[in-house]
Amino acid sequence: MGYVDAGYAFALGGLALYALSIWWRGRRDPR
Amino acid sequence: MKALVDRLLGPVTLVALAVTVWLGLWVTPPDVHQGNLARLVYVHPALAWVALYLSFGTATIASALYLWPRTRSEVLDRVAHCAMEVSVVFIALTLITGSIWGRPTWGVWWAWDARLTSTAVLGLLALGYLALRRATDDAHVRARRGAVYVLLAAINVPIVHFSVLWWKTLHQNATVFTADRHLLIHGIMAWTLLVSFVAFSLAFAWLLRARYRLEASRGAVADAVVERALDERRREGVV
Repeated sequence: MGYVDAGYAFALGGLALYALSIWWRGRRDPR
Repeated sequence: MKALVDRLLGPVTLVALAVTVWLGLWVTPPDVHQGNLARLVYVHPALAWVALYLSFGTATIASALYLWPRTRSEVLDRVAHCAMEVSVVFIALTLITGSIWGRPTWGVWWAWDARLTSTAVLGLLALGYLALRRATDDAHVRARRGAVYVLLAAINVPIVHFSVLWWKTLHQNATVFTADRHLLIHGIMAWTLLVSFVAFSLAFAWLLRARYRLEASRGAVADAVVERALDERRREGVV
Protein backbone atom coordinates (compact mmCIF):
# COMPACT_ATOMS: atom_id res chain seq x y z
CA MET A 1 0.00 0.00 0.00
CA GLY A 2 1.40 3.39 -1.00
CA TYR A 3 1.34 6.65 0.90
CA VAL A 4 -1.65 7.95 -1.08
CA ASP A 5 -3.77 4.84 -0.39
CA ALA A 6 -2.76 4.98 3.29
CA GLY A 7 -3.82 8.65 3.50
CA TYR A 8 -7.25 7.95 2.02
CA ALA A 9 -7.66 4.82 4.17
CA PHE A 10 -6.88 6.70 7.38
CA ALA A 11 -9.12 9.65 6.47
CA LEU A 12 -12.18 7.61 5.53
CA GLY A 13 -11.53 4.75 7.96
CA GLY A 14 -11.15 7.22 10.83
CA LEU A 15 -14.45 8.90 10.06
CA ALA A 16 -16.16 5.51 9.68
CA LEU A 17 -14.80 4.36 13.07
CA TYR A 18 -16.00 7.54 14.75
CA ALA A 19 -19.47 7.15 13.18
CA LEU A 20 -19.49 3.54 14.42
CA SER A 21 -18.54 4.71 17.94
CA ILE A 22 -21.52 7.12 18.00
CA TRP A 23 -23.87 4.34 16.88
CA TRP A 24 -22.40 1.91 19.42
CA ARG A 25 -22.68 4.40 22.31
CA GLY A 26 -26.32 4.98 21.35
CA ARG A 27 -27.03 1.24 21.49
CA ARG A 28 -25.19 0.76 24.78
CA ASP A 29 -26.91 3.61 26.64
CA PRO A 30 -29.88 2.74 28.88
CA ARG A 31 -33.28 3.76 27.49
CA MET B 1 -37.81 20.04 5.63
CA LYS B 2 -36.07 18.85 8.82
CA ALA B 3 -37.16 15.27 8.10
CA LEU B 4 -35.87 15.56 4.54
CA VAL B 5 -32.47 16.81 5.75
CA ASP B 6 -32.43 13.96 8.30
CA ARG B 7 -33.12 11.41 5.59
CA LEU B 8 -30.79 12.82 2.92
CA LEU B 9 -27.76 14.05 4.87
CA GLY B 10 -26.24 10.58 5.36
CA PRO B 11 -26.65 9.28 1.78
CA VAL B 12 -25.58 12.62 0.22
CA THR B 13 -22.46 12.65 2.44
CA LEU B 14 -21.53 9.10 1.42
CA VAL B 15 -22.01 9.91 -2.27
CA ALA B 16 -19.94 13.11 -1.95
CA LEU B 17 -17.11 11.21 -0.21
CA ALA B 18 -17.25 8.46 -2.87
CA VAL B 19 -17.08 11.10 -5.66
CA THR B 20 -14.09 12.70 -3.90
CA VAL B 21 -12.26 9.35 -3.79
CA TRP B 22 -13.13 8.61 -7.43
CA LEU B 23 -12.00 12.03 -8.67
CA GLY B 24 -8.97 12.12 -6.37
CA LEU B 25 -7.60 8.66 -7.12
CA TRP B 26 -8.70 8.00 -10.71
CA VAL B 27 -9.76 11.13 -12.59
CA THR B 28 -7.28 13.89 -11.62
CA PRO B 29 -3.81 13.79 -13.19
CA PRO B 30 -0.62 13.41 -11.15
CA ASP B 31 1.16 16.65 -10.27
CA VAL B 32 4.24 17.81 -12.22
CA HIS B 33 6.37 18.07 -9.06
CA GLN B 34 4.82 15.69 -6.53
CA GLY B 35 3.43 13.01 -8.86
CA ASN B 36 0.71 10.85 -7.31
CA LEU B 37 1.42 12.18 -3.80
CA ALA B 38 -0.44 15.36 -4.77
CA ARG B 39 -3.65 13.29 -4.62
CA LEU B 40 -3.48 13.71 -0.84
CA VAL B 41 -4.46 17.35 -1.42
CA TYR B 42 -8.04 16.11 -1.87
CA VAL B 43 -8.08 14.72 1.68
CA HIS B 44 -5.70 16.54 4.02
CA PRO B 45 -6.70 20.24 3.52
CA ALA B 46 -10.43 19.40 3.69
CA LEU B 47 -9.89 17.56 7.00
CA ALA B 48 -7.93 20.56 8.31
CA TRP B 49 -10.69 22.93 7.14
CA VAL B 50 -13.28 20.99 9.16
CA ALA B 51 -10.99 20.55 12.18
CA LEU B 52 -9.95 24.18 12.46
CA TYR B 53 -12.78 26.26 11.11
CA LEU B 54 -16.02 24.25 11.11
CA SER B 55 -15.63 22.25 14.33
CA PHE B 56 -13.76 24.80 16.39
CA GLY B 57 -15.79 27.64 14.83
CA THR B 58 -19.09 25.95 15.73
CA ALA B 59 -17.90 25.27 19.28
CA THR B 60 -16.65 28.85 19.68
CA ILE B 61 -19.88 30.46 18.45
CA ALA B 62 -22.02 28.10 20.56
CA SER B 63 -19.85 28.80 23.64
CA ALA B 64 -19.95 32.59 23.14
CA LEU B 65 -23.75 32.43 22.79
CA TYR B 66 -23.96 30.25 25.89
CA LEU B 67 -22.03 32.80 27.93
CA TRP B 68 -24.31 35.60 26.70
CA PRO B 69 -27.15 35.58 29.28
CA ARG B 70 -29.87 36.34 26.71
CA THR B 71 -29.06 33.34 24.52
CA ARG B 72 -27.91 30.87 27.20
CA SER B 73 -29.37 27.41 26.68
CA GLU B 74 -28.55 23.76 27.28
CA VAL B 75 -28.72 23.21 23.51
CA LEU B 76 -25.75 25.53 22.90
CA ASP B 77 -23.66 23.78 25.55
CA ARG B 78 -24.50 20.45 23.93
CA VAL B 79 -23.58 21.76 20.45
CA ALA B 80 -20.22 23.06 21.75
CA HIS B 81 -19.49 19.75 23.48
CA CYS B 82 -20.34 17.67 20.40
CA ALA B 83 -18.42 19.98 18.03
CA MET B 84 -15.32 19.73 20.24
CA GLU B 85 -15.50 15.94 20.24
CA VAL B 86 -15.82 15.93 16.44
CA SER B 87 -12.88 18.36 16.25
CA VAL B 88 -10.65 15.90 18.15
CA VAL B 89 -11.34 13.29 15.45
CA PHE B 90 -10.71 15.70 12.56
CA ILE B 91 -7.54 17.15 14.13
CA ALA B 92 -6.19 13.62 14.65
CA LEU B 93 -6.96 12.70 11.03
CA THR B 94 -5.42 15.98 9.81
CA LEU B 95 -2.19 15.18 11.69
CA ILE B 96 -2.14 11.55 10.49
CA THR B 97 -2.75 12.36 6.80
CA GLY B 98 -0.27 15.25 7.01
CA SER B 99 2.32 12.94 8.48
CA ILE B 100 1.69 10.37 5.71
CA TRP B 101 2.22 13.16 3.16
CA GLY B 102 5.27 14.51 5.00
CA ARG B 103 7.25 11.26 5.07
CA PRO B 104 7.81 10.94 1.27
CA THR B 105 8.01 14.72 0.59
CA TRP B 106 10.01 16.00 3.58
CA GLY B 107 11.70 12.74 4.52
CA VAL B 108 10.28 12.75 8.06
CA TRP B 109 6.98 11.69 9.65
CA TRP B 110 7.04 14.64 12.02
CA ALA B 111 8.88 17.94 12.49
CA TRP B 112 8.54 20.48 15.30
CA ASP B 113 7.45 23.01 12.73
CA ALA B 114 5.11 25.88 13.68
CA ARG B 115 2.09 24.60 11.68
CA LEU B 116 2.41 21.00 12.87
CA THR B 117 3.13 21.92 16.48
CA SER B 118 0.34 24.49 16.77
CA THR B 119 -2.12 21.95 15.25
CA ALA B 120 -0.97 19.31 17.74
CA VAL B 121 -1.45 21.85 20.56
CA LEU B 122 -4.98 22.50 19.26
CA GLY B 123 -5.67 18.74 19.44
CA LEU B 124 -4.40 18.64 23.04
CA LEU B 125 -6.58 21.66 23.90
CA ALA B 126 -9.62 19.89 22.43
CA LEU B 127 -8.81 16.75 24.45
CA GLY B 128 -8.38 18.95 27.53
CA TYR B 129 -11.88 20.31 26.97
CA LEU B 130 -13.33 16.78 27.00
CA ALA B 131 -11.39 16.04 30.21
CA LEU B 132 -12.59 19.29 31.81
CA ARG B 133 -16.22 18.33 31.16
CA ARG B 134 -15.72 15.17 33.16
CA ALA B 135 -14.31 17.09 36.16
CA THR B 136 -17.70 18.02 37.61
CA ASP B 137 -21.25 16.63 37.70
CA ASP B 138 -22.82 20.06 38.06
CA ALA B 139 -24.30 20.75 34.60
CA HIS B 140 -24.21 24.58 34.94
CA VAL B 141 -20.63 24.72 36.23
CA ARG B 142 -19.58 22.26 33.51
CA ALA B 143 -21.22 24.31 30.76
CA ARG B 144 -19.81 27.64 31.98
CA ARG B 145 -16.28 26.34 32.49
CA GLY B 146 -16.43 24.58 29.13
CA ALA B 147 -17.60 27.69 27.30
CA VAL B 148 -14.84 29.87 28.79
CA TYR B 149 -12.27 27.17 28.00
CA VAL B 150 -13.36 26.97 24.34
CA LEU B 151 -13.08 30.75 23.92
CA LEU B 152 -9.53 30.66 25.35
CA ALA B 153 -8.55 27.59 23.28
CA ALA B 154 -9.90 29.21 20.10
CA ILE B 155 -7.09 31.81 20.34
CA ASN B 156 -4.89 29.05 18.91
CA VAL B 157 -6.95 28.78 15.69
CA PRO B 158 -5.59 31.99 14.07
CA ILE B 159 -2.12 31.01 15.34
CA VAL B 160 -2.43 27.72 13.38
CA HIS B 161 -3.80 29.57 10.36
CA PHE B 162 -1.07 32.22 10.18
CA SER B 163 1.77 30.01 11.48
CA VAL B 164 3.09 29.42 7.94
CA LEU B 165 3.33 33.19 7.41
CA TRP B 166 4.58 34.22 10.85
CA TRP B 167 7.34 31.62 11.11
CA LYS B 168 9.66 29.84 8.70
CA THR B 169 8.01 26.43 8.34
CA LEU B 170 8.56 23.10 6.61
CA HIS B 171 4.83 23.07 5.91
CA GLN B 172 3.91 24.80 2.68
CA ASN B 173 2.03 28.09 2.51
CA ALA B 174 -1.63 28.35 1.39
CA THR B 175 -2.71 25.63 -1.07
CA VAL B 176 -5.56 27.33 -2.96
CA PHE B 177 -4.79 31.06 -3.02
CA THR B 178 -1.62 33.11 -2.71
CA ALA B 179 -1.55 36.05 -0.28
CA ASP B 180 -2.68 38.36 -3.14
CA ARG B 181 -5.68 36.09 -3.98
CA HIS B 182 -4.08 34.44 -6.99
CA LEU B 183 -5.48 30.95 -7.64
CA LEU B 184 -2.79 28.26 -7.34
CA ILE B 185 -4.79 25.25 -8.51
CA HIS B 186 -6.79 24.91 -11.72
CA GLY B 187 -9.15 22.78 -13.82
CA ILE B 188 -10.20 19.33 -12.61
CA MET B 189 -7.76 19.58 -9.69
CA ALA B 190 -9.50 22.74 -8.43
CA TRP B 191 -12.96 21.19 -8.87
CA THR B 192 -11.93 18.01 -7.06
CA LEU B 193 -10.53 20.09 -4.22
CA LEU B 194 -13.85 21.94 -4.02
CA VAL B 195 -15.81 18.65 -4.00
CA SER B 196 -13.56 17.35 -1.21
CA PHE B 197 -14.24 20.43 0.92
CA VAL B 198 -18.00 20.00 0.39
CA ALA B 199 -17.83 16.25 1.12
CA PHE B 200 -15.90 16.58 4.37
CA SER B 201 -18.06 19.53 5.45
CA LEU B 202 -21.14 17.34 4.91
CA ALA B 203 -19.43 14.57 6.91
CA PHE B 204 -18.91 17.08 9.71
CA ALA B 205 -22.61 18.08 9.64
CA TRP B 206 -23.71 14.43 9.64
CA LEU B 207 -21.39 13.40 12.49
CA LEU B 208 -22.26 16.48 14.54
CA ARG B 209 -25.96 15.78 14.08
CA ALA B 210 -25.59 12.13 15.08
CA ARG B 211 -23.44 13.03 18.09
CA TYR B 212 -25.90 15.74 19.15
CA ARG B 213 -28.82 13.32 19.00
CA LEU B 214 -26.91 10.87 21.18
CA GLU B 215 -26.17 13.61 23.73
CA ALA B 216 -29.79 14.84 23.67
CA SER B 217 -31.12 11.31 24.24
CA ARG B 218 -28.67 10.90 27.15
CA GLY B 219 -30.01 14.15 28.63
CA ALA B 220 -33.59 12.92 28.25
CA VAL B 221 -32.73 9.60 29.94
CA ALA B 222 -30.99 11.43 32.83
CA ASP B 223 -34.04 13.70 33.27
CA ALA B 224 -36.36 10.67 33.25
CA VAL B 225 -34.23 8.91 35.91
CA VAL B 226 -34.35 11.98 38.18
CA GLU B 227 -38.10 12.34 37.64
CA ARG B 228 -38.68 8.65 38.45
CA ALA B 229 -36.58 8.91 41.63
CA LEU B 230 -38.49 12.04 42.71
CA ASP B 231 -41.80 10.25 42.09
CA GLU B 232 -40.69 7.34 44.25
CA ARG B 233 -39.62 9.71 47.08
CA ARG B 234 -42.95 11.58 46.78
CA ARG B 235 -44.85 8.31 47.14
CA GLU B 236 -42.77 7.51 50.24
CA GLY B 237 -43.64 10.96 51.59
CA VAL B 238 -39.99 12.08 51.75
CA VAL B 239 -40.33 15.03 49.31
